[in-house]
Amino acid sequence: MEGEAREAPGLGRPAASKDFHFHHTDLYDSEDRLQIFPEEDTQMRRAVVQAEMTNQPREPMKGKSQRDLGEEVDELVHLYGLEDDHELGDEFIDESTPRIEVSEYPPYMMMGREPLREQRDWRLSGEAAKAEDLGFGAWGSAGQCQDLREAYRYTHGHASEEYECYVIPEEEDEEEAADIFCVTCKTPVRASEKVFDEHKEHEVTPLSKALESAKDEIHKNMYKLEKQIIEMENFASHLEEVFITVEENFGRQEKNFESHYNEILETLAQKYEEKIQALGEKKKEKLEALYGQLVSCGENLETCKELMETIEEMCHEEKVDFIKDAVAMADRLGKFLKTKTDVEISAQPEFEDQTLDFSDVEELMGSINTIPAPSAPVINPQAPNSATSSSVRVCWSLYSDDTIESYQLSYWPVQDSSPGKDGAAFTMTVKETYCSVTNLVPNTQYEFLVTAQNRAGLSPASECAVYMTAPCPPIIKSKEIRSCEEAALICWESGNLNPVDSYTVELTQAETPGASGVTESVVGIPTCECLVQLQPQQSYTIYVRALNVGGPSARSEPATVHTTGSYFHLNEHTRHPWLTVSEDGLTVVRSERKAPAGEPLPSDTRFTRCVAVMGNLIPVRGRHYWEVEVDECLDYTVGVAFEDVPKQEDLGANCLSWCMRHTFASSRRKYEFLHKTTPDIRITVSPRKIGILLDYENSKLSFFNVDISQHLYTFSCQLPQFVHPCFSLEKPGCLKIHNGISMPKCVTFY
Amino acid sequence: MALKQISSNKCFGGLQKVFEHDSVELKCKMKFAIYLPPKTETGKCPALYWLSGLTCTEQNFISKSGYHQAASEHGLVVIAPDTSPRGCNIKGEEETWDFGTGAGFYVDASEDPWKTNYRMYSYVTEELPQLINTNFPVDPKRMSIFGHSMGGHGALICALKNPGKYKSVSAFAPICNPVLCPWGKKAFSGYLGTDQSKWEAYDATHLVKSYPDTQLDILIDQGKDDQFLSDGQLLPDNFIAACTEKKIPVVFRLQEGYDHSYYFIATFITDHIRHHAKYLNA
Repeated sequence: MEGEAREAPGLGRPAASKDFHFHHTDLYDSEDRLQIFPEEDTQMRRAVVQAEMTNQPREPMKGKSQRDLGEEVDELVHLYGLEDDHELGDEFIDESTPRIEVSEYPPYMMMGREPLREQRDWRLSGEAAKAEDLGFGAWGSAGQCQDLREAYRYTHGHASEEYECYVIPEEEDEEEAADIFCVTCKTPVRASEKVFDEHKEHEVTPLSKALESAKDEIHKNMYKLEKQIIEMENFASHLEEVFITVEENFGRQEKNFESHYNEILETLAQKYEEKIQALGEKKKEKLEALYGQLVSCGENLETCKELMETIEEMCHEEKVDFIKDAVAMADRLGKFLKTKTDVEISAQPEFEDQTLDFSDVEELMGSINTIPAPSAPVINPQAPNSATSSSVRVCWSLYSDDTIESYQLSYWPVQDSSPGKDGAAFTMTVKETYCSVTNLVPNTQYEFLVTAQNRAGLSPASECAVYMTAPCPPIIKSKEIRSCEEAALICWESGNLNPVDSYTVELTQAETPGASGVTESVVGIPTCECLVQLQPQQSYTIYVRALNVGGPSARSEPATVHTTGSYFHLNEHTRHPWLTVSEDGLTVVRSERKAPAGEPLPSDTRFTRCVAVMGNLIPVRGRHYWEVEVDECLDYTVGVAFEDVPKQEDLGANCLSWCMRHTFASSRRKYEFLHKTTPDIRITVSPRKIGILLDYENSKLSFFNVDISQHLYTFSCQLPQFVHPCFSLEKPGCLKIHNGISMPKCVTFY
Repeated sequence: MALKQISSNKCFGGLQKVFEHDSVELKCKMKFAIYLPPKTETGKCPALYWLSGLTCTEQNFISKSGYHQAASEHGLVVIAPDTSPRGCNIKGEEETWDFGTGAGFYVDASEDPWKTNYRMYSYVTEELPQLINTNFPVDPKRMSIFGHSMGGHGALICALKNPGKYKSVSAFAPICNPVLCPWGKKAFSGYLGTDQSKWEAYDATHLVKSYPDTQLDILIDQGKDDQFLSDGQLLPDNFIAACTEKKIPVVFRLQEGYDHSYYFIATFITDHIRHHAKYLNA
């Protein structure tokens, strides 16, 4: 607050304290009112406030001072150009009441015996109080205010926290308390007086009702004030921001100007040097030319003189000699005279009028008022979730308020081998400080840099930022989804060549009555499979997204999961070579044709002796139920086994498997329940469909004849690890597995 | 039809009671035990009838088999009648343990002097159920039957002679083919006379052959070390063969090391109660 007060140009007074908030909102609504406290009026205001202070409690001449004050305030109002003093006064009464009574009430108390007059005073002194308020606002302190309040309390004689009692004076010291309120005079009166005195014709209300409405009014006003305080605080902080911005902007512009003018001065100095040098050279050249001419002129003169002398000498010679010499002389003279004597002045003394070219300077001058070349933009790091698998949204910003005409955005894929060397860079020009770059390769890193440009030129390039495109959507392996009533195991392929950060599984309950339709997400899955917890007897649509730093991929193709019963497929990896598994993974066939000669090599995963195959049951410790459709004449073994059951042994022949075996020989059927020991069980009706209930919770494995709901046998088996369904065919034939079905009621008893 | 309560004991939240009444069929006072599970406090429950074996009274089963917990959990009313009329003063009634008192064989006798009182078949299939349905919170439409040895035989014939009457049946070491075993021959000749064709009407193995194609799930447990099995009194193989022939569903479990006692019954009683509950509570 202090900072803002100091920096605000219109106020300029360091002492503007907390009371600053109490300025009316007009302060920032209209500009001219910002000048509400012209510097030269400080004196005046101080006087007002001092007067106010001295006129505070226990001052006998209250009324007078009040009116004096009122007048002063009027003056002030006019001084400050606040013509709408009336309105201001009203506002004040409406909105600043809690402050009014600080100054207002004591006089009222003093003047209690002249209610009518007091009433007038009250009205008038509204403005006085306003003045006081303004005074505080300008340079009064909270402490002063507090003093006044305490003084009031002291005078008043009780410690009430409520200052809003200006409407309802408490007159407990009176002999007979006022019990009604005269609305017209706005004063409490005694009901007994009403009949006689001046309130006779006035509207009256019960005192308590008047008190209520007055309190309401006060609370409303306080609320308004609070709002105003908040608004003012906001405004002040806004001012502070603006102040800093102005300082920054002007500082920058100063620098800009300085550099420009220096540049121009340098250019001019350079031009001067050039011109002076050129001038000197010209002068030298001219002088040299003239000198040359002078020399040759002298030479000519010498020759002439010599000729004259020679001729004169000849004239003194003998005739014969004269004639001889005269002929030769005449030739020589003739030759000499033939050579023209150059009497043209080779160099003019005048200075040739050279135009001075100031165009570049002008240009420089002209550019001073425009803009500097921008500084390097700052490229932002990639925003989370801003990329798609083919695009990224690159953003950058400027340190300063440079004027920018366009930006040049360059990018290239990050190469593992030699970064940036490939030269396959792309450039695009954009106006905005962001750009969605499209047609990119999924799950790939790109380096971006950006350069800003305006009339003054190009900025330096920003630093390189690496952005990454989102991955391709994964591909759910629908055929490998396993589920039970409480959960599903979803598997998928990444769909991306490069590794991604993680995967998200989204599941939505299919549109059934009562389904919430809410999409749940399992996030941060590091591998390509996820066990999700589900509600029983529901249908879910499941999507998978791949994630990297750039964001999530699009949804994968949906997969559907029904949490009815347990659902699994046969595991091809465990399949004995003589068996074939149908397309849907639920029917196993041992064909009639002769099996290939020779047994397959022993294996840890694949059954090699017992002609069997395993199912992939979801690893959830609950209850799992499935059914196997069998041929009554078929020799088969069905049950469960640990994953590491010896593949070279018959199912049920060891401690790692629990099975029911049927053998049919010479019209006799044998049903055996095989584990370590074999109980003697006889069954009179051959099941055509065997129900198998695996119950981890109760450590039980039960077999049922589904068609007649008959319980056949229950193993008690400790299952420290997960087991899988297993199926074996001792003779050619087929077993059809039914799963993903509700448990029959009869099964629930076991 | 007045019922006289002999005893009442709280057991697994319910009440094990014994009543005495004057039987119309048997023309004597008869006792029966009834277990009322906690569920009877709120509604009608299915009734499961237990028929005991030779020499037994209503007491053996309720004190030795330990069936109460399972019955309480499944909410089954279990009724265990006595095995024969008592105190009828018929000559020879008390002479042997396998005929007469304690050996009613759940037949309606046609021969003198037995035919007046020894009407255990009618008693357990008609009179007793009516009495129970009238006086206790049971659902008359849901009843099943099981038993041990002679009672196993009784349970099987009651179920096989009344298709649809009982939801399910099970037996511990039942006398499966009485017409071919010494106990059966002795009893049937005494109660039914020498006409062996009349015997077949009370022989489970014979009854199977004429049993209509109605759903009936039979559970039989048999101790492998049961002396009466090796004595040829029980003959379960004949019954199984007949059921296999007629495709009547039986699960026969030959339990290694168990004998004919109530220890054997107690071991597998829970399986049997569940077997019945599966049908009675379906």
